[in-house]
Amino acid sequence: MTALLEVQGISLSFGGLKAVSDFSIALRAGDLQGLIGPNGAGKTTVFNLLTGVYRADRGSIRLGGLDLGGAKPSRIAAAGLARTFQNIRLFGDLSVLDNVRVACHLRAATSMAGAILRTSAHRGEEAALRAYATELLEIFGLGDRTGEQARNLPYGDQRRLEIARALATSPKVLLLDEPAAGMNPQEKAALSALIRFVRDRFGVAILLIEHDMGLVMKVCEGITVLDHGVTIARGTPEQVQNDPVVIEAYLGAPAQEGGGVPAERRS
Amino acid sequence: MTASPWAGKAGALRPGTAAAATAGVTPFAVGLLLAAALQYAVGPAVGPFFSDLLIKIGINVILAVSLNVVNGYTGQFSIGHAGFMAVGGYAAGALTYYTSMLAWGGPQVQGGVFGVGSALFVGACLVGGLVAAAAGWAVGLPSLRLRGDYLAIVTLGFGEIVRVLLQQTQDVPFTADEARALSPVEMATHLGGSLGFSGIPFYTNLFWVWCFVTLTLLVAYRLKESTFGRAFLSIRENEIAAEAMGVDTTRYKVRAFVIAAFFAGVAGALFAHKIGTTLNPRELGFMKSFDIVIMVVLGGMGSISGATIAAVLLTVLPEALRGAADYRMIVYALMLVLVMIVRPQGLFGIREIWELPPFARRRGR
Ligand SMILES: Nc1ncnc2c1ncn2[C@@H]1O[C@H](COP(=O)(O)OP(=O)(O)O)[C@@H](O)[C@H]1O
Ligand SMILES: [Mg+2]
Repeated sequence: MTALLEVQGISLSFGGLKAVSDFSIALRAGDLQGLIGPNGAGKTTVFNLLTGVYRADRGSIRLGGLDLGGAKPSRIAAAGLARTFQNIRLFGDLSVLDNVRVACHLRAATSMAGAILRTSAHRGEEAALRAYATELLEIFGLGDRTGEQARNLPYGDQRRLEIARALATSPKVLLLDEPAAGMNPQEKAALSALIRFVRDRFGVAILLIEHDMGLVMKVCEGITVLDHGVTIARGTPEQVQNDPVVIEAYLGAPAQEGGGVPAERRS
Repeated sequence: MTASPWAGKAGALRPGTAAAATAGVTPFAVGLLLAAALQYAVGPAVGPFFSDLLIKIGINVILAVSLNVVNGYTGQFSIGHAGFMAVGGYAAGALTYYTSMLAWGGPQVQGGVFGVGSALFVGACLVGGLVAAAAGWAVGLPSLRLRGDYLAIVTLGFGEIVRVLLQQTQDVPFTADEARALSPVEMATHLGGSLGFSGIPFYTNLFWVWCFVTLTLLVAYRLKESTFGRAFLSIRENEIAAEAMGVDTTRYKVRAFVIAAFFAGVAGALFAHKIGTTLNPRELGFMKSFDIVIMVVLGGMGSISGATIAAVLLTVLPEALRGAADYRMIVYALMLVLVMIVRPQGLFGIREIWELPPFARRRGR
């Protein structure tokens, strides 16, 4: 089976800093892969490159054979690449339901005139979007909070809402940037089940950035390790976990925030 | 269906909004009836002073609600709304004035509320809106790159350019023969200059103003409640996330500018044909833009009912303070500072009045 998302040799520098060097990855439909590395390794920058927030200095990004190089983020989202954000970026003043309905935007087909005249086609579409968004929120355990302002949700719910919102764009590939950050152990356990469930239920390929090694090792089938923008290892969780280069990168790095420690060192 | 990790915890489906009751063209018809009631019952009953006030209120509601699409929904900061009003007002005014001169030999009103002259007037309002919308598109384009203060400066500059250009135009011809001697291009350069454009026939009445108010409110509200409105609001909430969710933010910003400018142009056209108006570039400058911005900020960025109520308040207030007209701007400024301290989100924030307690329990807006 050929790759769905095919990234070849992308690089990006911020001034003199090489944030990402010659990064490549391939995801097939239904893959669940991890992207790890110490703080500042360039993981989020990779996501920003893939989703068009930054433009790569070099390299190519293809999704289902479509060249995404230089495309703007909204077009990349339309092509089937969705993401969540490390620093949560919900639409805070909008309701939980509307956060998801914004992401249903790509499915809406009626014209502005249809919306203004409230034609029956438009009303039917709005009803369908509402039903779809509500169902999605119920799957994510947010079915009883649809009317709440997103900013008022507890932290863990906000992270889940971000995933639900990303899924509402009907992606082929989902990029999750530290979805477990700030969650308690129970929430983390539920999250790893949810990530697997999302992959199975929605058939998306998932690329996961996560600092919680226990979660990454449990959930991911393949792992890529970045350090200073360079890919230093790639393999199964076991291979990566026992790779001396990886251990070196984590232990050699200055004190970590957020517990970026290999699994075997977690007490 | 695979069981979700949260299966069984899902809450009951909330009922839909009262969309069915406000569907289709019914509200347009209701607005038409209300406008007719204002024209034929309320107007004659309250007399010319209050009729004029109701017309001013209607025009300001159109201005505030339309600016709200840009400043409230998409969170851009335009302070040049009066510029679009001027463009629409002059375009419409010139159209009726010169057409009347050529067709009827003078600028007198032809026919009643539904007469041939009114047909020309309503057409001119729509043309004024379209010309202003074109200007809105041109000003919206820089918003592709500019944000915040920079965009504000561009819109301010636009308003000032419009004002200066209008001041450079030449005198309006007073007779039909003088008017006939002008080519259409020359007509566009004979708009009265800094002395103002007088003689535009007084077609504006309660009926047509409140028809356009209805149109503005319904368009603004129905857009807000649709996928388009949610796209606008998402830009204001978080532009990066909006793009990532597939909202083409540049395209929607330009759309917001075009819609807002269209209705500002219509408001300008209604103002141009109002009894007692001499269109003057000075009156449609920065101060007028500032008035409209205050209405939106006071009402709550994004709230249609908020902008409407603020527009009513801020139209009535200066009339009530007539004796203290010189202090109007001071009162405005103080009010704005006070609101920003006590209620930074404006009276209603992003919500509509019926979505707030005690009018409604929490709802899935
Ligand atoms: N917009 C930016 N401008 C300049 N430097 C940046 C920018 N974004 C990220 N960086 C730098 O690039 C490096 C990688 O950052 P990031 O991708 O956020 O790391 P990670 O997500 O792996 O923790 C860091 O050194 C960071 O300071
Ligand atoms: Mg990061």
